[in-house]
Amino acid sequence: MAAPAVKAARGWSVLALGLRRAVPRLPGLTQVRWSRYGPEYRDPQIDKEYYRKALAELTEEEKYEQELRKTQLIKAAPAAKTSSVFEDPVISKFTNMMMKGGNRVLARSLMTQTLEAVKRKQFEKYHAASAEEQAAIERNPYTIFHQALKNCEPVIGLMPILRGGHFYQVPVPLPDRRRRFLAMKWMITECREKKHRRMLMPEKLSHELLEAFHNQGPVIKKKHDMHKMAEANRALAHYRWW
Amino acid sequence: MATPSLRGRLPRLGNPRKPILKPNKPLILANRVGERRREKGEATCITEMSLMMACWKQNEFRDQACRKEIQDFFDCASRAEGARKMRSIQGTGESGDLPPKKLNKLLQRFPNKSHVS
Repeated sequence: MAAPAVKAARGWSVLALGLRRAVPRLPGLTQVRWSRYGPEYRDPQIDKEYYRKALAELTEEEKYEQELRKTQLIKAAPAAKTSSVFEDPVISKFTNMMMKGGNRVLARSLMTQTLEAVKRKQFEKYHAASAEEQAAIERNPYTIFHQALKNCEPVIGLMPILRGGHFYQVPVPLPDRRRRFLAMKWMITECREKKHRRMLMPEKLSHELLEAFHNQGPVIKKKHDMHKMAEANRALAHYRWW
Repeated sequence: MATPSLRGRLPRLGNPRKPILKPNKPLILANRVGERRREKGEATCITEMSLMMACWKQNEFRDQACRKEIQDFFDCASRAEGARKMRSIQGTGESGDLPPKKLNKLLQRFPNKSHVS
């Protein structure tokens, strides 16, 4: 992937079909975080099931889409995405958020160690439990991870709105992606800040995930605090205009 | 009514009389129009939100007990979001004129040249 920070002068050196030409910008302003792909490039379709559908099952639109993709330019798939059965978009997103300094290898290994730790803890509990309790213990680390994050998602958010010279925290409905982001962000912040210096991230993260799975723990408490603030400020909801 | 005349209104060397108009900016068409006054929207989904919060108060903020109210709130929020998108795409009624944002884009592409080149 091209380096994100690019000076405008360098853009003139590579002019190929489809690559973005450097538009003369204001002096003193550098373009950062841009993509070398022009607007005509489409996103790659990673999902194998999309291509495995039999021709007869496709609707008119899908047939048209597939024909169109044959003629159009497509961006290269990012290295972090695979078409394997083990690919999980939630785990990928979480790994990206845990990543520091672009070290995705380290973040990915921490993630796998976390899932392994979760699985080990659950198996220990399973073998120590009696027959009736064994049915209730969930051992799949992926379901635990998904359920824990779903339990951490806030239902309603707070937004500072300026009214009469003061900022009021107004309860506001959040879109799905914002809720998922907040859940992951709270989880990661909690695990980074509130742990012992010598404790490793997989251990702490697995502990927090298991607590969140059972609707306990600091992340769930943070979600409840947000809900309580929203409930206390419910009269201010009329300050919204959307 | 036709555009009012500008003949002999400005302070110029060839103009013998007192100026009628003393504009502080040059009288040249700008390449943007002013924005419309923002319409007064009201907050959506207040009833669903209050039902949900009443349910929370009764059940000590547990989410499992309030599943139905929470789902109603989410449905209302997504419907409001969809309605807002539809309104913004349609260009809010139009009634013959374009909305100011689209007009500004058009004027950016075909600007009024105040220079000779």
